[in-house]
Amino acid sequence: MAEVEETLKRIQSQKGVQGIIIVNSEGIPIKTTLDNSSTVQYAGLIHQLVMKARSTVRDIDPQNDLTFLRVRSKKNEIMIAPDKDYFLIVIQNPSD
Amino acid sequence: GNDVTPQVLYQADPAAVQAKASRFFMDEISAGGSASDQTTTTGSFTMPFSRYHSITPFLFFCSLSDVQGKRDAMKELVTEDMLKEVIEVYISETDSISLLDIPSTFVSVDAHDAEAIIERNNQYAEVCRNRMGNDKYVDRSMQTLNGEAKNKQVQSDSIVMVDTAATVTAWDMYDTYISPEQDETVCVPQAERADYPEVAVDTSRGAEKNMSVGSSTSTGSVASSLKEQEALGNGLNAESELQLIMLSEKFQHLLLVTERSILGNVFQPKLAAYRELPILEDSDIPMKPGTVEQREDTESPRPPAVECLWAFSCELSRGRSVSSMAWNKKYPDLLAVGYGELDSSNQKPGLVCCWSHKNPTWPERVIYCDSAVTSLDFSFNNPSQLAVGMQDGSLVIYNVQSRNQLCVVSSSECTNKHLAPVWQIRWTQQDLSLTGEEKLEALYTVAADGKICKWFICNNGLDCIELMKLKKIHNTKKKSVLSALSPGLCFDFHPRDSSIYLVGTWEGLIHKCSSSNSQQFLETYRKHFCPVNCIIWCPLIPDVFLSCSSDWTIQLWKQDHLNPVLGFSSTQKAVCDIKWSPKCATVFGAVNEGQLEIWDLNSSILDPVIVQPAAPGVKMTSLLFATQTDCVLVGDSDGQVTVYQLKNLSVGKNSQVKLRNR
Repeated sequence: MAEVEETLKRIQSQKGVQGIIIVNSEGIPIKTTLDNSSTVQYAGLIHQLVMKARSTVRDIDPQNDLTFLRVRSKKNEIMIAPDKDYFLIVIQNPSD
Repeated sequence: GNDVTPQVLYQADPAAVQAKASRFFMDEISAGGSASDQTTTTGSFTMPFSRYHSITPFLFFCSLSDVQGKRDAMKELVTEDMLKEVIEVYISETDSISLLDIPSTFVSVDAHDAEAIIERNNQYAEVCRNRMGNDKYVDRSMQTLNGEAKNKQVQSDSIVMVDTAATVTAWDMYDTYISPEQDETVCVPQAERADYPEVAVDTSRGAEKNMSVGSSTSTGSVASSLKEQEALGNGLNAESELQLIMLSEKFQHLLLVTERSILGNVFQPKLAAYRELPILEDSDIPMKPGTVEQREDTESPRPPAVECLWAFSCELSRGRSVSSMAWNKKYPDLLAVGYGELDSSNQKPGLVCCWSHKNPTWPERVIYCDSAVTSLDFSFNNPSQLAVGMQDGSLVIYNVQSRNQLCVVSSSECTNKHLAPVWQIRWTQQDLSLTGEEKLEALYTVAADGKICKWFICNNGLDCIELMKLKKIHNTKKKSVLSALSPGLCFDFHPRDSSIYLVGTWEGLIHKCSSSNSQQFLETYRKHFCPVNCIIWCPLIPDVFLSCSSDWTIQLWKQDHLNPVLGFSSTQKAVCDIKWSPKCATVFGAVNEGQLEIWDLNSSILDPVIVQPAAPGVKMTSLLFATQTDCVLVGDSDGQVTVYQLKNLSVGKNSQVKLRNR
């Protein structure tokens, strides 16, 4: 448990990481390092994106499943690690 | 007249269901019935015939129904199980039912009675023509009765329409087929989460787990209901959920992958350089003006240099001195680094870290050792086994594959174990193998107590046999019976003949020994007068080896010459470590306390081609060449392992250097 906390702290302190959000399966954020409004916004929007992405991957081959999703934009990169009951979102700005 | 008020078609009361079958009887009875007062249709569903005020018709109806023997079946309560039952439905074709049959009045000319019909037609036409002015026909009028029209209305309940939608996806069907037994386990957690009152939320969870309703329709409603709910979940539930998630292994794995992705972004240009890939510029990051100029003068030849790519370091290793490094035999990017203070005054416990280039900020495995680590090596046959030699003479084999169970076997119970620091440890594959398939490998160590041992794993412990004792060679004039053992500092096995090995000692002597002869040395090479720190055979040229010593020199030897062929010295510092380049036979690297030197015998035998000074206050202690790329790793006394890339080192076409015999 302490190892997990340490890993989260390490990720938080890496270069350019703006925030970490853990969202449960209903789209409710349960742990976050960002402010409330951004968290809720990210959680809601990304939840839909992950569902769509997962549905796409599984439609093509039902035995396949989504393991990682990265959205690279001009200003930052959003990395989403999905699982059955939750997903982990990390926002990083690599040029910081 | 007859009472023709329309009756209610549908009775909600199941008790009144019987009336349905005999409704038309009711009409007839009411026609001759006793209703004297003007009746209006009652709106009540329960007692449609209450206006009769007599129970006889009711009883009559019951008897009618009995007589009819036709009873509508009581509606059974449909249970869940019944819904799930597989009901077989047989569909068969009925006979053709003719609903309307109007025979045609046209007959084909080819029909068999066509002539008779044509004849009749002609006669009729004849009659019609003759009708005008004929006495046979008289006009006469008739009157028809027009019946009274009456309106009849029928009333029916409106059919309740409910909209449902479902999205069928390929994975939805796949999931339903392969997991019929998971439905029972899923129902249980749904019952526990009764505190979420929104129906929308339930269906969404049900959708994801049962996959029976399309999830696209329900997520929209969940997102909107979220904003009404508390943003960060409610109290206790969120906390316990978080705990559960964080303890799961899958989450730890996801964290690992995420961390590596983040670091991949951060270190991307360096890692690309390590792999000798072209470095792509990120178009989103504004280019710094300085870098643009560098790319312009690529035409002029640049001097060979090293470029620092990154350094493996973390807070665990800071402050400890790197004593040894080794690559994994199976995964050439996995690096094991041993940390330990080499000066015996500081007895800090040692540390072994396994680093991967995927994460330069935190090691993949951390192993805490009882005493300072002096040497380590990975096994050939079991690539996850790492043998570690320590300052107190003990030898431990660790398994780095799993995170939990690390220590495989230790030599602490062995009676023959070393009592002094194990300076070097080696796994060697032997050429002779009985089975012919897998090469046997053996573990050898050399220690400061002057013994070279070969180790076996037996009875869950390590046991060793002594291969050689390093006796001090005195002058032949004084023949003393007792000869003390001189500490051995390093050894190396011949790359092609694994029974021959070289040992360097504290006194500066290098002995060539054979594993079959444990009494005598085959040869002794004398040149150094200070402890020999490292000996290494050249992997590309047979019978050539290098030795380095604290007497500031590096010597190049050929196996059958007792005097060194070449000697190198550049600074007045003890040379700690020396390694041959795995790709180019004329290149080797050396590390003394103050700087990293790369020598290229092809270009110069007097000076190193590349010199990289150490950071101020830090001493470089060990060196390792990367096997697949042109990089060197240098460990220093601050616990950092820096990766340098060799640039512009012109590799000659000939990979051999002819040594002149002296």
